[in-house]
Amino acid sequence: MNPQLFPESIVRTENLALHFDDSKTKALDGINITIHKGEWVAIVGPSGCGKSSLLNLIGALDSPTSGELYFRSQSYSKILDLSLFRRQHIGFIFQSFHLIPTLSALDNVVAPTIACPGSPNEHKERAKNLLVKLGLRDRLDHFPGKMSGGERQRVAIARALINNPDMILADEPTGSLDSINAKQVLDIINDIREKKGLTVIMVTHDPSVSARAERIIHVCDGKIEHREEARI
Amino acid sequence: MNVLSFALNNLYHRPARTSLTVSAISLGIAAVVALTSISWGFEASWQKANDARGTDLIVTRVASENAMPSAFLAAKYVQPLKNQAHVQEVVGLLSEMLSVSDNAPPVFVFGWAYGSYLWKHLRLVKGYWPSNDTEPVVVIGSLAAELLHKDSGDKIEIEGRQFQITGIFESSAVVENGALLMTLTQAQQVTDKLGKVNVLNIKMDGRASDADIESFKAHVRKMMPGFVAITSGELVSNNTIVRISKAMSHVTILIASLVGTLVVFNTMLMSITERKKDIGVLLALGWQQRTVMKLIFCESVVLTLIGGCIGILVGIVMTFGLEHMDLMRGKIDAVFSVPFLGAVLGLSVIIGIGGGLYPALKAARMRPSHALRCE
Repeated sequence: MNPQLFPESIVRTENLALHFDDSKTKALDGINITIHKGEWVAIVGPSGCGKSSLLNLIGALDSPTSGELYFRSQSYSKILDLSLFRRQHIGFIFQSFHLIPTLSALDNVVAPTIACPGSPNEHKERAKNLLVKLGLRDRLDHFPGKMSGGERQRVAIARALINNPDMILADEPTGSLDSINAKQVLDIINDIREKKGLTVIMVTHDPSVSARAERIIHVCDGKIEHREEARI
Repeated sequence: MNVLSFALNNLYHRPARTSLTVSAISLGIAAVVALTSISWGFEASWQKANDARGTDLIVTRVASENAMPSAFLAAKYVQPLKNQAHVQEVVGLLSEMLSVSDNAPPVFVFGWAYGSYLWKHLRLVKGYWPSNDTEPVVVIGSLAAELLHKDSGDKIEIEGRQFQITGIFESSAVVENGALLMTLTQAQQVTDKLGKVNVLNIKMDGRASDADIESFKAHVRKMMPGFVAITSGELVSNNTIVRISKAMSHVTILIASLVGTLVVFNTMLMSITERKKDIGVLLALGWQQRTVMKLIFCESVVLTLIGGCIGILVGIVMTFGLEHMDLMRGKIDAVFSVPFLGAVLGLSVIIGIGGGLYPALKAARMRPSHALRCE
């Protein structure tokens, strides 16, 4: 398949497979999906179906057993420095926030910029602005242990945005939040996506969360169960 | 925030582990500083004593590596050596470490040929010098006077013989300040070594060239089988006690380095195991492997540098305490040179890098997806 035929695609997979234990366990098998720039896609499915594995492959956190992944027209396998790729193009949001407990909210947001080009002061200023925009003006120096779940996830969102990524990969971003905070976080993600034209790929098993996405991809037993289901 | 401030923050938030590791490193470094400075100081103080006397060469037995070269009958050698070109003086020296009272630690007792040049570098601070070779009198170093609670005019018993202390002197060499000094004849009598000396001190005139000194050495080898003419530096560095103390300091450096490396290794390994998820997050957020390694190295090197600085201070205090113990006073003069202290800090950095290497590699090679699954 010629990637040039899909100029709008930001991520595309070709027969993507991820096997463990000498192929006895097939986390993913023959995944073919295309995600377009600016889309909000929800990957849904039961626990252990392989949706987080798919997100990890898209996020270049794991390597597939076989198949190909493309970012725009570039194959992941041709990318020499995947760390740099993640830093430049991807922002991660995790279910358990994964903030570093010994760093303040501000430093957690600044952390991905360490060893990045640019002055530390610029990075700090940008982090501060992001946190202020997310309503955390009074929480800059607070440590994660002293913040509510909603606040922590907002810090994680700011951290995901600090390097101006092209796409946000969110693994159960509302899984640890109550319904009010969950709605707030989804509103923020949607707002940022619309303003910045970001692509959002979100893994969830919660139908009320996936309902917010433009398109839902169902995964079951490592395969796409239904073809891409457009909601809008 | 940069890698260093992040590393400092990580250490700050683990105070118990940080302080335990720093303590272990400081103790190791303190032992290195104390033993090495004492070992070098021991050598330097003997070297200083020989240099202060103005001796150019020392004639002694070939097996001069004993703590004190064994005594020999000197009379038949003195005149032939004096006859050599540019030789100004040939002076016998006898020394022993003797107990001079029941409660005091042993002190060095030197016997120097009466009226020789050896006496000239000393400064008399009280009393007077021995006025002849026959009276049982001693002069006493200022440190020895303090240590033995003796003053000019007091009596002192050496090997069962009573001596009158006629004066107190000071020398630039601590070993002489801690010693008792009498004429060679008196020393030979009190140690039952009549006519014997441990070494012959050779003073050359100002015109002697290196070639003249080499020629003198060759003459001694030929004329005095079993003897050798060496510089005071060679005599000191061949000394068994000096060699043992140096070997001990080398072994201490080796053990302290190995233990320090293992302590840092263990600390950093525990630290990265505990922070597996955090490291996975950083890798997922785009940290490169080399940045993770830099972070771990910063942490391990900061730990060992702090330990090194504290260790140096503790080592200096320990050495100062040792120097002032009654048993050691007047026998060692520890040396703390800037290059030595710099080398100790360098050793601390090497320990930090050595101990942090495997944990840093392990952290950098973590697969972020696996690390993130860690709870």
